[in-house]
Amino acid sequence: MNWDIARKNFYRQGIRAFLNVLVTALSIIALIFMLSLLNGFQAQATRNLVATDVGGGHYRAPGFDILSPMEWEDNTVRVPEPLLGLAEKNKAEVLVQQGQLYPNRRLYPVQIRGISMDQSLLSLPLDNLKKYDEKIEDIVPAVIGVKMAEKSHLKKGDTLTLKWRDKSGAVDARDILIVDVGDMVNPRVDDGVVWLRLDHLRAMTDRKDEVSWVTVRDYKGPIDGFEFKSVEALMADLLALLRQDRMNSKILWSILMILVCTSVFNTQILNIFKRQKEIGTLMALGMDSNRIVRIFTLEGALAAIWALVVAAILGVPFFIWFQGVGFDVTHLSEASFPVRETIFPDYQPKEIIYSLVIVFSLVVVAAWLPVKKITRLDPTLALRGRAIT
Amino acid sequence: MDINIITLNQVSKVYKVGEENFTALHEVSLEIEGGAFMSFVGPSGSGKTTLLNLIGGLDVPTTGNIYFKESGLSSMSRQEKAQYRRENIGFIFQTYNLLPVYSVYENVLFPLLLNGSKEKDVRDRVMDMVAKVGLSDQSKKRPSQLSGGQCQRVAIARALVKDPLLILADEPTANLDTENSLQILELMRELNHQYQAAVVFSTHDEKVTRYVRREVRLEDGRIKSDKNSMNGGSKE
Repeated sequence: MNWDIARKNFYRQGIRAFLNVLVTALSIIALIFMLSLLNGFQAQATRNLVATDVGGGHYRAPGFDILSPMEWEDNTVRVPEPLLGLAEKNKAEVLVQQGQLYPNRRLYPVQIRGISMDQSLLSLPLDNLKKYDEKIEDIVPAVIGVKMAEKSHLKKGDTLTLKWRDKSGAVDARDILIVDVGDMVNPRVDDGVVWLRLDHLRAMTDRKDEVSWVTVRDYKGPIDGFEFKSVEALMADLLALLRQDRMNSKILWSILMILVCTSVFNTQILNIFKRQKEIGTLMALGMDSNRIVRIFTLEGALAAIWALVVAAILGVPFFIWFQGVGFDVTHLSEASFPVRETIFPDYQPKEIIYSLVIVFSLVVVAAWLPVKKITRLDPTLALRGRAIT
Repeated sequence: MDINIITLNQVSKVYKVGEENFTALHEVSLEIEGGAFMSFVGPSGSGKTTLLNLIGGLDVPTTGNIYFKESGLSSMSRQEKAQYRRENIGFIFQTYNLLPVYSVYENVLFPLLLNGSKEKDVRDRVMDMVAKVGLSDQSKKRPSQLSGGQCQRVAIARALVKDPLLILADEPTANLDTENSLQILELMRELNHQYQAAVVFSTHDEKVTRYVRREVRLEDGRIKSDKNSMNGGSKE
């Protein structure tokens, strides 16, 4: 009978019940959307970093530190035997040198990166470099990223002077031609970086067969004369940033959850507040307080179930649609996150279930708590509508 | 039927209003016999509603005892009081207090379901009661679709349908116009005769006092007079 009464009470409330359900459903959708977007953002940031730079880790020349450009020239070595035999899809040889670019008569310190043209491990927009011969003609072809192009005011087809030092320390300079401006996505391989063919850079710096590091698809065990930097080590700064972002997102999630709680609680309390006299009447008619609490809690559970259903009806098509179109974050081009394209949400079942359980419980508790309080008070207060004020 | 169903013995009720204590009832003692048709009359604040609430087990006295037949209400648990109301008391409120999402039929049916009856077993009884209050053709309507007088008729039917020993009616005509008030009073008097349920009004409506057989006048929480009405039961 309790179920029948609760069902009847709930369905016959009409618009009030519908609004209650709708507010809860929209809260659920907002929560899942926010979490999934954040997951998608972080997953894409990590993926992009791996795809453009980190791979499965770096075998680096001993002492090489990307943060110490003055020592880059001193820390290059020949590709070790165990890595020479790896297929090009499993490795990418990279030589890094420092240099100075002179765009529009200004000096622009740059990181010159040479990468083998046969590699397919890293996804970089360097196809236009491939058509140039190994031998350098009178001009060196180079590719820069969009961020670099923007900062240095360069564009495809520009010619400018690049200066560097060779292995013996002699300063050399040559004109380079910007053969392409590519979207590197990852600021680490874009901002302040000039990409050359590896064979060209080796020839320019007199470093035959030498590299700063070899990016590999997976760890090949210890190799004499090389230091292995794991993915975690290489991504430490990003991971720290993401951890911080996670923490911030948790705060954001908590704020959103508090808003959801407030909204749901407010709706429920308002509902119960308006029904105080009804509760008092039920008590006067002789319904015992435990039964009243059970009925109203069941009503809350019904509202929560319908909220889940409505959230599914409204949310699933929205999420599917959004999965297709994504969220444009090109405005983040100035940010340090390696994400500049469209973000696609990453729906994590565990998080979704977690959020649903919280909201469901909240709705039920919000239905249970005030009624419990009212039924413990004097029925005359409920009858006068003064049990909760 | 002159066996006392309710006995009040030196009942007082004190409310705390802020820092002040407000005494709503001062050591009130009285009996209500089965089948009575009586009223508590007095101005606002005289203690009429408090007295009804105490008798109905909705409130507890500060001092004194209230007995339903032989059972003291003070010693009852909340559950037992709920059962007492469920089985023995019918309430009629000034603002009707009908369940808004239920139809007339369902509102009248509700107390029987609370008492454990199955709808199919009591359907005729409910329809009969709805007919007695003259609302057969309105039985599917909800309270919001009814007039005040019709709502009060539903409340009467709801109070009577479970065949209680006592009906407590708190200002039942206060929200009604004269014509509706007289119809309601007439109806209640007929049903009192028919069902033998004691009916206790709280009112300051002189029309009510002309209908009842006993009139207890209250003033400042004390019984000022308790007398049988000379013209009790007569029509205006």
